[in-house]
Amino acid sequence: MFSFKIEKYLLVISFLSIILIYGCSKKLPMDKQIGFDSITLLNQDSSQVVFPDEYKNKILLLTFIYTNCPDICPMTTHNMQLLQEEVKKDNLKNVQFAELSFDPERDVPSVLKEFGDIRNINYNNFTFLTGKEADVKKILNNMDILALPGDTTKTESGNVYFFTHTDRIDLIDQNGRIRNEYRGSKANIQEIIKDIKALED
Amino acid sequence: MIILLSLLTFLTHSPKIKIENAWVRPAGKGMNSALYFNIENSNTKPDVLYKVSSPVAELVQMHKTVETNGLAEMKQIKSVTIPSNKTIEFKPGSYHVMLIKLKRDLNVSQKIDFVFYFKKAGKINVQAEVKGQ
Ligand SMILES: [Cu+2]
Repeated sequence: MFSFKIEKYLLVISFLSIILIYGCSKKLPMDKQIGFDSITLLNQDSSQVVFPDEYKNKILLLTFIYTNCPDICPMTTHNMQLLQEEVKKDNLKNVQFAELSFDPERDVPSVLKEFGDIRNINYNNFTFLTGKEADVKKILNNMDILALPGDTTKTESGNVYFFTHTDRIDLIDQNGRIRNEYRGSKANIQEIIKDIKALED
Repeated sequence: MIILLSLLTFLTHSPKIKIENAWVRPAGKGMNSALYFNIENSNTKPDVLYKVSSPVAELVQMHKTVETNGLAEMKQIKSVTIPSNKTIEFKPGSYHVMLIKLKRDLNVSQKIDFVFYFKKAGKINVQAEVKGQ
């Protein structure tokens, strides 16, 4: 009789905790820990950025680009700029923006800087990242980002190639957990801002 | 009769293919950009855009971006047919004219010259503005 009571009690407790856990995390659809630590990358000024350590205790919007991209990546970058403006307007503190190149061979820091400068990027809380090919690959694999180089096209001054690639922005919380992902080039700015606000609470 | 004649002249000279809202993305020398616009065909017959040229890039190609299961990919296209009394949009994430290996920087608010080649309408000069997007 007594043990039956305890069982009932435990049942109620576990039920309550399920509801509690569900209630807390249901705001955001994902909760996946980034599976690597302390990878040293370079930013657009050739300064070292240790990833993801640099973004601990911060909310991070991370996307993946290559600067030779004429259509999709500029759209995504423009959306990141719109998000940056919106974050400022809404006075949301502690939000960082980063774009990691999946084409480190061509996207050296100076190339990333030029890509940012020509778009008037506000580097306050916006960073372009590149790194050693093996390090970048490790991040891409872990975050399920595909970037497949296509055929090479010959031009007067040399060759050029383009990528078939994942079109995504990831939302990473203060503990380095991926909490949502969005289509980068067609991102819904207000939806992302809402998610950032949910993480701030 | 004179009115009829002048009306006829007006009709034959009125542009049947109109290219509007042409704009280009900013990009640095040696990099790539894209040109976007609308083509309106007010002819009774379809026309075909088969080439675009510009002195600012080493290579100019028509492309379409397609996205399948979150993967974005560009496909080169040889020509685009504009049906009669229809407008075709070249826009981000869809049809675009790709400017490969720019010969100079394209900075915001600059005007860039292009020539569009149509099977029926022939050559049409178009000026596009560089817009910060
Ligand atoms: Cu293209």
